[in-house]
Amino acid sequence: MNTASSTNQLTTLLDNQALTRLERLRLQPNRRKTNRTQGEHASGKGGSSTEFADYRNYVPGDDVRFVDWNIFARLNRPYMKLYQYEEVMHVAILVDASNSMKFENKFERARQLAAAMGVTALMGVERVSAYVVGASEEPPRVMPPSSGRASMRRLFDFFERAECGGDAPIDGAVEAMLRRHRGRGIAIVISDFLTPASLARPFNLLYSAGLEIFALQLLGPTEIDPELTGDLRLVDSENGTTVDVSSIDELHGIYHEHREQLQEHVRRQSRTRNGRFLSISSEAPLDWVLFDLLQRQGWLK
Amino acid sequence: MSWTGFLSPSWAWLFLLIIPLVIVYFLKLKRPRCEIPSLVLWHSVINDQRVNSPFQRFRKHLLLWLQLAILLSLILAAMQPFLRGEPGSGDNLPILVDCSASMSAIDTRGGPTRMERAKERITELIDAALPGRICLIAVGAGARQLTEFTNNKRILAEALDTLTVRDVPGNLVDGLRMAQALARRETIGTVTLVSDGNFPDLQDTADGQKIARVDVELPFKLQYEKLETDAVNMGITAFNARRQSAAGAADSLTPWDVFVRINGSPNDVTSGEVLLEQDGQEVGRQPIALEAGQSKRLVYSLQTSGVSRLTARIVSDGFDGLSSDNTAYLELPVSRSLLVWCDTDLQSYRHALQVFPDVTVYPNDDASGQPDVYDLAITETTKKANPNLEASVRLVIGAIPEDLAQLVTTRSGNSPVVDWNRSSLLLQHVNLDSIEIADEPVRGDDVLDQNFREAGYEILATGRSGPLVLARHAPGRQAFYLLFHTDHSTLPYRVGFPVLIKNAIDITRHAAGLAEVRGQPTRVLAPRLLDRNTTYSVAAPGSPTQTFRTGPDGLLSGVPAPRVGIYRISEDGSEVARVGAGVLDAGESSLASADLIEPRDEELRVSASTTQIDTDRPLWPTLAWIAFIVLLVEWWYFQGKTIRVSG
Repeated sequence: MNTASSTNQLTTLLDNQALTRLERLRLQPNRRKTNRTQGEHASGKGGSSTEFADYRNYVPGDDVRFVDWNIFARLNRPYMKLYQYEEVMHVAILVDASNSMKFENKFERARQLAAAMGVTALMGVERVSAYVVGASEEPPRVMPPSSGRASMRRLFDFFERAECGGDAPIDGAVEAMLRRHRGRGIAIVISDFLTPASLARPFNLLYSAGLEIFALQLLGPTEIDPELTGDLRLVDSENGTTVDVSSIDELHGIYHEHREQLQEHVRRQSRTRNGRFLSISSEAPLDWVLFDLLQRQGWLK
Repeated sequence: MSWTGFLSPSWAWLFLLIIPLVIVYFLKLKRPRCEIPSLVLWHSVINDQRVNSPFQRFRKHLLLWLQLAILLSLILAAMQPFLRGEPGSGDNLPILVDCSASMSAIDTRGGPTRMERAKERITELIDAALPGRICLIAVGAGARQLTEFTNNKRILAEALDTLTVRDVPGNLVDGLRMAQALARRETIGTVTLVSDGNFPDLQDTADGQKIARVDVELPFKLQYEKLETDAVNMGITAFNARRQSAAGAADSLTPWDVFVRINGSPNDVTSGEVLLEQDGQEVGRQPIALEAGQSKRLVYSLQTSGVSRLTARIVSDGFDGLSSDNTAYLELPVSRSLLVWCDTDLQSYRHALQVFPDVTVYPNDDASGQPDVYDLAITETTKKANPNLEASVRLVIGAIPEDLAQLVTTRSGNSPVVDWNRSSLLLQHVNLDSIEIADEPVRGDDVLDQNFREAGYEILATGRSGPLVLARHAPGRQAFYLLFHTDHSTLPYRVGFPVLIKNAIDITRHAAGLAEVRGQPTRVLAPRLLDRNTTYSVAAPGSPTQTFRTGPDGLLSGVPAPRVGIYRISEDGSEVARVGAGVLDAGESSLASADLIEPRDEELRVSASTTQIDTDRPLWPTLAWIAFIVLLVEWWYFQGKTIRVSG
């Protein structure tokens, strides 16, 4: 799916047809981590929704409006009707905007996926906040928590204006996000996760903040399968450090092993915290990712 | 002895270049920069233990190893390693190189000439013989020493490059004699002869081989390196003309019979056409087909009104291995009367000369028209006594040459003819029996026939006390001396006297080229009578112009003619004569080759080495190729397809 550019499109990130399909999808967290504020997610008995849950004995002081008068008439004893309590869920979307995301359409695809996830969350009546972290010394760009269909325009504007550049590692980006975020729910982290630091700490912080981790790794085709040959001086796009590699084509096998180890590390860090992990190519078709892969993986329903 | 060696081990100092190469490699290793999103994964890869395994460490500096391999290959190539063949003697080695006409033959269509193959072989021989000293000798019509004994390969290579084939028959004896002469001042164990084996006068042995006999004693071992030969050829081996006998000097057109002899090679059937051109116009064309080894003579009849230049050409139907023998030249002279000087006192001679219609006898009544040079002079005085009388043939009556004054004198007496050379041109069919001679030439005491020969005279007739008739042959000159005066003998009254005059006329006619003309072969141009003490320039085909000077006798002689073609003789830029020379040698045209060379001592018979000397095999071309291939591998390996990660 190409990025929509027509004036009839709601956003340049997603075309209207995809938006229509996204409106029917919902995020599927493994565990419902909701907030006390009333929302769409049933959190147990004692709520005020119309969904009946159970009965209990009346105790003085209970609101008599919830006494089941039909039972009282038959048994001559008052019983209280209990209803499901529906709470709101926060969806925090974190997009890695460091220099490494500049390559091979990674940042573009990250913005599209973030927007798609945001649309899905907004249409699920969740509170959506978004964070774009580029440079480590600058504060992240933040879209405050928003909800409702009316916030879609705001969401699109936020991601359309997002720019890439900086040296912030993903672990630092998570910390920067958590310094501003409040609320339980889902943390959708879209990054290439190419960081030398361990992800245990940032994922622990997310988990302890009551956020279920949705880690989405975006890698370029040459990161997945580098076709480099000869003797090269590789330059890190984020910090400019170099490393000389000889006979680089002989190291492809080892590179694949290490890439798979990194993916397995992120996956394990997510799973142990009841989270999800998915690695996709930045060149993978967006339609296939949104409406096939993510649904098959249980991210969306 | 090791099986390898180096011709230039001094180049080993180049191994020092390895040091700067390694230093420069590590200091200046220029790698293409490639910006990638993150080095995280590559750091992990580099830190992997397998990357730092010994093999991977080697792979890491594979570029260095490849560069070292290239450098080592080039240094070794510069040191000129070789695989030893037969051990070189280290002695002086003369190499005789046949550069006769047959060496320009091509054995297969489009292939190299024999000389080109000989040069390749000689290059191998030089490589094998080094560090011994080598002397190159070119053997054509004579032998020429191309280089002194040297082990300087450059000098030898340059001499070899300048060596060209000469369109002349080979003279192996001269080459061997030169080697023989060299052996007197240098230690020579072996002499190598590189040739196609086309030597003069080859003879067949009982077992079907061809043998060349050389009259030379060989004080060394002769290694005969024979080139493989398989050429088919057809060539002109004789080209001459004879004036038809019925013609007289007064006729305006002179009829000639022209004879062209064509020889075929002994290998195969040959066919083609023989064209005869007269002054550039085709006057005859005859097809010819020759069996293997066959020879045919073609006859053409034509008429000339003046000097006429003939050219015979062979146009072969198929492959012709030797092109230089396909053309021959002939110059037919203008018809004229013989100019004969006869002293007025020699009435018997003048009387006998009257019967020849094409002979003009001087002095005659027309005092104004006396020529400067006569064809025949019959005189009572020698050349020294009468230097103003110029003649090609001189018949001196009753006078003793000045240079023989010490050997023979004349006295009165009766001197019968004891013996005479009946096959000599002057005395053939002349019966000198029972001739009475009043003058008796008497040789001095202890004077032998050999003394006359050493003085340059041939005794044609001998009397009781000494020689009666002498002949002296010099280039362009012939002189016959009757040491007795015929007027003091009974010879003028015998039948033999007009026969003697007829023989003298025939000799003169041949000498003047009026009766028979032969094609000029290469080697040396025939002496030519021109102006005295004059400088002439001779432009030879394919050679720079040379200058020659005639002597007091006016003879231009000693002009080399190494190539087939037209030689132009000019004086001050104006052409005075033109001579065409052709190979005209049956041996060269046959392209036959000797399997054996037999010196004087038959026990030293030398056979052609069919299995050639196992020469040292140079390895530098192989090393150079290895360096080139490694360079290509390096290029392919390191400069091949490189994908840059784009941002």
